[in-house]
Amino acid sequence: MIRFEKFHPAILFIYYLLVIVFSMFTVHPIVLAGTLLGGVLLFALLHPMRETLRNLLFYFFVFILIGITNPLFSHNGETILFFLNDNPITMEAIIYGAVISIMLVGIIFWCKCYTKILTSDKFLYLFGKMIPKLSLILSMTLRLIPLFKQQIKKISGTQKVLGLYSSESRTDALLGRIRVFDSLLSWSLENAIDTADAMKARGYGLKGRSNFHLFRFHKEDGILLAAILILTALIASGNADGVFLFGYYPYITGMLLTKKAILGYLCMLFFMLLPSLLEIKEKILWNCLRSKI
Amino acid sequence: MKKDLLMMFFGLLLTVVLFGGTKIQSVEDYYQTHVDDIQEDSETITLSIRCDTVLENYERLDDQLQDPKYVPEDGTILPETKYVLRPKDSVFDLLVRATRHEQIQMEYQGAGENLYGSAYILGIHHIYEFSCGPLSGWMYRVNGEYPSRGCSQYLPVNGDHIEFIYTCDLGRDIGGYFLEQKENKELHFTQ
Repeated sequence: MIRFEKFHPAILFIYYLLVIVFSMFTVHPIVLAGTLLGGVLLFALLHPMRETLRNLLFYFFVFILIGITNPLFSHNGETILFFLNDNPITMEAIIYGAVISIMLVGIIFWCKCYTKILTSDKFLYLFGKMIPKLSLILSMTLRLIPLFKQQIKKISGTQKVLGLYSSESRTDALLGRIRVFDSLLSWSLENAIDTADAMKARGYGLKGRSNFHLFRFHKEDGILLAAILILTALIASGNADGVFLFGYYPYITGMLLTKKAILGYLCMLFFMLLPSLLEIKEKILWNCLRSKI
Repeated sequence: MKKDLLMMFFGLLLTVVLFGGTKIQSVEDYYQTHVDDIQEDSETITLSIRCDTVLENYERLDDQLQDPKYVPEDGTILPETKYVLRPKDSVFDLLVRATRHEQIQMEYQGAGENLYGSAYILGIHHIYEFSCGPLSGWMYRVNGEYPSRGCSQYLPVNGDHIEFIYTCDLGRDIGGYFLEQKENKELHFTQ
């Protein structure tokens, strides 16, 4: 049971947009640490622990890869550690590379949770009336990769039972995979045509078409929306005061530590951790109630 | 599948690093370049690096660079200094030798990495291109004229005065606007 996805889709969409905007437009370490923490925590609450650990390990190596490539290309910075091919490798470049890769990994984790929270029917509900064709294409594109992953598992499993990967040679294994991929491609094209035909038959995009949906606006949705707007207003006012500015070249500027700045950082952290806190509250409540039975 | 991709990228990184060569020098080693002593019969040129236009456009400068440590009060990063001109030295070679000797930070983009076939000076003394507005950068002139060529393509001769000047307005504020340069000059270029 995921509590966060039961909110109204418009609020979920606004929240996701704001998370991405806040993470991508600053390089402040606290903001990006909050993004990473929020993304990883939400992912851990939505998926089994084994998958979380596997993903964390993989993205740790991605983090190292990107962190290493930045100093190789950027040579600005005060503290020079050593010279590689007549170009200085500076501490600032290494730190900036690390921070940028934290931003990247954080946003990747948020996007991994996206498919579970903003499913394609919610997206269609939000944008189907305004831009039917574009929203159809967008929702089909967004569900493409997980759908392909599921389908390739099915095809591959069936073929394995029928004896496709039985020979020992590498070339045969490769040819077997190519056959599976080929079958996946033709299935996906047919699937797209089927979906489009079905939607056309039901009159999707026609004027005056109403559709049934379970998305009513409840009191909790109002409270969440108010909370999001208040936090955004506080963060915007902090931004206007330059609280989220941070520079790396040629020297690393320190963080502001005035009262307003600390308020801004706390608001940002709370904003990023909002869905995770909601999920944790629900889990605690559920366990508490269950233990009373 | 994901592991394979990751391995592939690490392998790519490794090959790039190995092919690019791994000449690692510590900070002291790098700065130990030898600038030839000026003797009686050696060919010399004078080199200077200035950034006066930055002082005129101080508000447009990056916040972090608004410090006398990065932008000297009189705008002189390197006063006019005589250096020995070795045969086949381009302006770029002289700049590299001078900045190494005086321990001034300098970052450049190699000749093979851009369309013009010449080294491009990204920044000197932490003042980079675009640090003072979107039309700012480094230009150089020899004997008061702008060669309109990359600095690794111009070969100076004995007695030349080379100046590296920072512009905040595409060269218009230092007389180096490319539309105002004279057409024909007998100049000393490499191919």
